[in-house]
Amino acid sequence: MAARLARSLTLFSPTVGPPPMEEEETYLEFYLDQCAAQDELAPPRSPLFSPVASYDVYIPNPSNPEMAFSSHLKVKETSGDFSSVDLSFLPDELTQENKDETVIGSKDEIEKTCKTQSHQSRLPLPDKLDIGLGLNGSDLSSSHSHLHPDDADSVQPSPEKPTSDPLPLASITSMKPMTPVSECSGIVPQLQNIVSTVNLACKLDLKKIALHAKNAEYNPKRFAAVIMRIREPRTTALIFSSGKMVCTGAKSEEQSRLAARKYARVVQKLGFPARFLDFKIQNMVGSCDVRFPIRLEGLVLTHQQFSSYEPELFPGLIYRMVKPRIVLLIFVSGKVVLTGAKERSEIYEAFENIYPILKGFKKT
Amino acid sequence: MPGGRRCPDCDSTELVEDSHYSQSQLVCSDCGCVVTEGVLTTTFADEGNLREVAYSRSTGENEQVSRSQQRGLCRVRDLCRVLQLPLTFEDTAVAYYQQAYRLSGIRAARLQKKEVLVGCCVLITCRQHNWPLTIGTICTLIYADLDVFSGTYMQIVKLLGLDVPSLCLADLVKTYCSSFKLFQASPSVPAKYVEDKEKMLSRTLQLVELANETWLVTGRHPLPVITAAAFLAWQSLQPSGRLTCSLARFCKLANVDLPYPASSRLQELLTVLLRMAEQLAWLQILKLNKRSVVKHIGDLLQHRHTLVRKAFRDAAGEREAYERELQGQRQGEEEVGNSSLDLPVRKRPPSPALLLPPCMLKPPKQLRPTPAVCTVTGDENISDSEIEQYLRTPEEVRDFQRAQAASQAAKSVPNPL
Repeated sequence: MAARLARSLTLFSPTVGPPPMEEEETYLEFYLDQCAAQDELAPPRSPLFSPVASYDVYIPNPSNPEMAFSSHLKVKETSGDFSSVDLSFLPDELTQENKDETVIGSKDEIEKTCKTQSHQSRLPLPDKLDIGLGLNGSDLSSSHSHLHPDDADSVQPSPEKPTSDPLPLASITSMKPMTPVSECSGIVPQLQNIVSTVNLACKLDLKKIALHAKNAEYNPKRFAAVIMRIREPRTTALIFSSGKMVCTGAKSEEQSRLAARKYARVVQKLGFPARFLDFKIQNMVGSCDVRFPIRLEGLVLTHQQFSSYEPELFPGLIYRMVKPRIVLLIFVSGKVVLTGAKERSEIYEAFENIYPILKGFKKT
Repeated sequence: MPGGRRCPDCDSTELVEDSHYSQSQLVCSDCGCVVTEGVLTTTFADEGNLREVAYSRSTGENEQVSRSQQRGLCRVRDLCRVLQLPLTFEDTAVAYYQQAYRLSGIRAARLQKKEVLVGCCVLITCRQHNWPLTIGTICTLIYADLDVFSGTYMQIVKLLGLDVPSLCLADLVKTYCSSFKLFQASPSVPAKYVEDKEKMLSRTLQLVELANETWLVTGRHPLPVITAAAFLAWQSLQPSGRLTCSLARFCKLANVDLPYPASSRLQELLTVLLRMAEQLAWLQILKLNKRSVVKHIGDLLQHRHTLVRKAFRDAAGEREAYERELQGQRQGEEEVGNSSLDLPVRKRPPSPALLLPPCMLKPPKQLRPTPAVCTVTGDENISDSEIEQYLRTPEEVRDFQRAQAASQAAKSVPNPL
């Protein structure tokens, strides 16, 4: 896989200027040979992948000067079948701004490739692509509304039409390669709680803190830490005599950091040489609602190795996802709680992973 | 070879001490002739001089079974015998207990956890053989707290990586209903309350299946649903004499505990049955309520599949349900049969209700207004005044200290009584 990547990168090496036409041909042949070899090896992918595949064959190198070159390549190759190309060498995550700006700009391209592919595969492409590209749904859907698989006439001219405008390479690679086109859920989990820790790096006198701070409670017989609360952001902190502090209750990473800084400032004002070291988010909890009831008994049967459903103990199903390592609590009402994340993206990814599974249990 | 012995065969002086397994031998290295041999076996007198080998150091037993583990294994076997489980279950449960004991987390745990572990192993064994044993039963038998039990159970399933199937509802119905003392007349059970076991079992099973289909079982404890279903089944088999009997009295008669959620499950089940009854023409005119519908449970159960499909819809199937309704109007109620009654006005069956779990049918809670999304960077300036609002002034500190001292003094003064 790494070798393929290396070879492909050399095709688009940024050090070389826009190459003359004859070099283009050899590069093209070389590249198509690779793809042909891959076609034989890899089993044919589902047709859903084919429209996406045509863009994603290209390496995400937005800053490369061979834009015209690549666009020529692309136009020629859309007539080829890339449904069986192995896309796993492409990175999973592309930055949000790339996706946003490029999706808007790439409407024409998508239309063209759509038409060519749909001509071959005869799929209800417009809606599938719509959902997959749902990043700027409204823009794209309007452009797709007039796309039809059986629109054979418009198909012919497009592959031949050379793209005069320099299409940015990034626009082609803006599609998330590994996500099946139809599975974007459109639901975003809301973060409910963030737990973070920070080291104030000085020994603290908890009795003094509890005496001089209004918002502190300290009960050494119950718990060996001061429990302090602030109003904005609405959070609670556990401050230990070693100087370590745990901050809970914030609704975003930035709020958690601000709150921790406020607690540190309070401790500073009380006369301790408090610093702000090793701030780390330890846990993030999110929740959302899929809005349809879920057959938990069915889910535990099909996903036994990940799920634990004991109605005698707890009404929800506990799903331990392996990648990303998140625990989900799934309830019969369709509400899902996601916990155990260190990053926001893990929660979103976990929900996107579970949504198609849950949809499978939607009673139709 | 010291000693100057010579091989009798080849007269060589090269004799070596070479043991053949446990027997010491003097062998000639030239021709291989065995010159002398040691004694292979010991005499009784010799054995008397040998030292004892402790059991733990003998080759058979590498690990010692600690006393607490032995006690635990004994308890596992006793529990299996009390529950009258087959012998194979006992061996499996014992194996699980031993496996769990090898984990450091369990070996070092408190005694309470080890006692609860006994119940967990038996429960896992029963579940894997589809033997319907509830967690409640196990907890009462081992005198354990449900919280402690659930924690240990989840932990052990995760640590041992076991696949524990769900509780089999049909089997649970059979065992639970068989425990009801309603099948024979006795001083506490009048004749009109006695019921045939098979009839009651089959009807209870049908009602539980109906409850399962209409989202009354998912996410809930199974036992109260079965209690409510058994009560309805029992009532409907002889409604005339039994409609006056309440759920609590029924449980007392049957000599079972009334689980707390059973009454609300009963109400939910009756609501479902009423909706189904509205789809039957001859029951529509009767205008049933939650008491009178019990008399018709037999009919409703007989046609339960069609009635559920007609009476309920989910949000996705709304359009189909509407069309089916129109079709039903046009075709007439053929599935339902019994059109001997010629109604002058064919009333339209009520529009289907949403088939959702009860928690989704409740009116949605007033959502707390989501706070305005304020873009916080985390690096903003923190004003001094904001921090100072959380600090006590020196006067306040003095007052607080005085108040604290006063309360301490009050506490330390012994009670005059």
